[in-house]
Amino acid sequence: MKKIGIIDSCVETPEELILSGGFIPYRLFGDSSLSPLKADEHLPPTHCVWARNILEQGLQGLPDDIMGIVSTHGCDCMNRQFDIWLDSVDMEFMYFLNSPLKRNAAAKKFFIQDMKELIRQIEEHYNVKITDEKIRENIQLMNKIRALLKEISEFRTKMKIKYSELHELIKKVQTIDKQEALNILEEKLKDVKSRPSIKENELKNILLTGSGLDDTDFIMNLENAGFHIVIDDLCIGTHYFWEQADEGADPLESIANYHFKKPIYSAKVPSHQRYNFIEQLIDTYEVKGVINLAEKFCESILYDHPFMNKKLKEKGVPYLFLEKEYNTEAYKQLSTRFDAFYEII
Amino acid sequence: MSNSQEREKTQRKKSKMLDATKSLKNIMGRHYLAIEQAYRDGNPTAWATSGSPVELLYAMKVQPMLPENSATMSAAQHISKDLIELAETQGFSYDLCSYFKTNIGAVSKGINTFKGGIRKPTFMMATDVICDTHVDWFQTQGERMNVPVYLIDVPHIVSNVNQRQYQYYKKYVEEQLWGLMDFIQEHTGNELDMEHARKVAENSYKLSEVWRDIYELRKNIPSPISTKDTFGGLFPLFTMPGLKPPIKLYKRMYREAKGRVDAGIGALPNEEFRLGFEGIPFWYNLKYFAMLEKFNAIIVYEPYTFAFAKFFSNPFEEISKERLLKDPIEAMSSLMLSFWYIFDLETRVKWFKKTTEDWKIDGWILHNNVSCRPNTATIYDLKRHLQDDYDIPCLIIDADQNDPRKFNEIQVSNRIESFIEILRKRKET
Ligand code: SF4
Ligand code: SF4
Repeated sequence: MKKIGIIDSCVETPEELILSGGFIPYRLFGDSSLSPLKADEHLPPTHCVWARNILEQGLQGLPDDIMGIVSTHGCDCMNRQFDIWLDSVDMEFMYFLNSPLKRNAAAKKFFIQDMKELIRQIEEHYNVKITDEKIRENIQLMNKIRALLKEISEFRTKMKIKYSELHELIKKVQTIDKQEALNILEEKLKDVKSRPSIKENELKNILLTGSGLDDTDFIMNLENAGFHIVIDDLCIGTHYFWEQADEGADPLESIANYHFKKPIYSAKVPSHQRYNFIEQLIDTYEVKGVINLAEKFCESILYDHPFMNKKLKEKGVPYLFLEKEYNTEAYKQLSTRFDAFYEII
Repeated sequence: MSNSQEREKTQRKKSKMLDATKSLKNIMGRHYLAIEQAYRDGNPTAWATSGSPVELLYAMKVQPMLPENSATMSAAQHISKDLIELAETQGFSYDLCSYFKTNIGAVSKGINTFKGGIRKPTFMMATDVICDTHVDWFQTQGERMNVPVYLIDVPHIVSNVNQRQYQYYKKYVEEQLWGLMDFIQEHTGNELDMEHARKVAENSYKLSEVWRDIYELRKNIPSPISTKDTFGGLFPLFTMPGLKPPIKLYKRMYREAKGRVDAGIGALPNEEFRLGFEGIPFWYNLKYFAMLEKFNAIIVYEPYTFAFAKFFSNPFEEISKERLLKDPIEAMSSLMLSFWYIFDLETRVKWFKKTTEDWKIDGWILHNNVSCRPNTATIYDLKRHLQDDYDIPCLIIDADQNDPRKFNEIQVSNRIESFIEILRKRKET
């Protein structure tokens, strides 16, 4: 089956629409082993390292079965980069989805119009028909996937699964056939339920938040430093599965509503509300500390950090803010900061 | 004054500023006095970001204040560095926009208006049309100062947006502008008077029009004005669109510049190289641009200073005065969607090419402003296209508009010097 690539600084792209066109939605993730030499020719040095990594992949050439790209409005960096993709990446179909910044009635109306335009362009370009019926079926499919992921995620509290394993799983779900993903998740749930708890007494429960953070190796580094990410506030995490879409409503309205009620990411507004979700998670999951990690030059997180710092101080929860490069070598430099944080919580 | 007297007067010194531009101080002074007056009278005030519809504030009798403008004043008085560093001690990263951090520092310190301080407003109005920074900035300050914020979400136009999309983008913006007026009414009690709104819109149009005419004069060889007139002269476009006094000022600037053109004299006595400058200048070191004069080089176009004459830079549709007066809100939503400063790459390349031809530009200096990711994201591609596709020489320099720590004068000067040498060789061949 052919794929359509997704470039998304949050998780705002309605996979249901791509599925309904008969494609596998294939979200692009960073690759920390890549040197962004080609991307460096397009982006000044002070631009986000993750976005640079994704651009590098585009410039080097994506796999042949990726037939097009949907890039979704996120941060300045990704928004402006779309023109570079159009100009320099060899791909015949590219659509920029303007998922709105705000979450109100006017924004919803606009989002629905923009989804309709995406449908229209996919239909015209690939000579397919995307019916309401198909979208509805795919909403149901995605709901099942979200529900399973949420259930598996809850086993983090019982020390039956670490975030790194869940993280890999969520990424996989976003790159393969969704029916296959459903089977894998059902199997995984059975497996997780029946496995014994991890016996690592010294692990400390934390919440991880920040930029997209899609590099599982990095998550493993954190776990190796003694942290158990009992819950997260991330796009490759709770933001992907926390809510369900209404299956009865008009399908596009339902998708828009779904995106407006899921946990907010820092690139959307009011991003300070992100703290409310974090606070709720801290209380529910008995979190001992919060780590906020920004990809280097991620403005969305940099702007929110002092607010987060203030609120967590008020709440009395230890907080660590860090910026990271997008390469495995650089990860090692953070270990002393992790160790120091481990000691204080 | 006769032409020969004018010629003599201009040639006495290098790059002469227009006499009219000197009264800019008075106009800006009036702006700040109006702000003080609003506080004395208990009238509503609002912070606004550039690119937002300041005209609607005037139309609803709300006194606007533009923190970006204030930040440049701090830079010009060499205090922006201290204010930025103060913001950094509060956790705002070294890598964030220096305008934002100047404002954080200025408010924290409570410095006075003439140094770039800015008072707590009744409300704030931000839009993401230019950058996310504007949104994050007002969200942050709104929270810290306990002030309500209205946000106008403007869909981002990329190179392959079609007319159909443009139309519903515009509707979305228009709907939010009506929402803004409800918001203003709710927070100030002021209602929209459409007749007054039309007058404000007409004044704004006239202001842009005269600014455009001044720019047209810069097409002449030699150019009658330099950045001494445009970098400073631009502020009324931000702060006072809709008022009459800046129109008068711009008309005086125009007449004086026209006089120079008629007399065949330029701002620079021996104009040899005509340059374009892309990006925001270094407000903490505006004098630096005079350094170009020693090479007989003059900047004759800056997209940044032209961009805010927004009526004349919408690539999707013409915004005529008639249309504006018929429905100012509808026209305003078009104006917000697309203008020079935020063009997509393809439009940017086209406009640069045309501008290079029309203004007879020998080469461009492109400011890779480390504060400003949206403006610099496609700067390398812009350079590549202009050079490779159209043989237009470009030089990229790295600096920051408000943070002197990020400006390496020696390095930048060396690069400019080499660039001028390249231009010289091109002319010789
Ligand atoms: S990491 Fe931050 S700056 Fe980079 S793409 Fe994501 S939101 Fe944008
Ligand atoms: S310099 Fe750039 S990032 Fe900063 S306020 Fe201006 S447009 Fe926004």
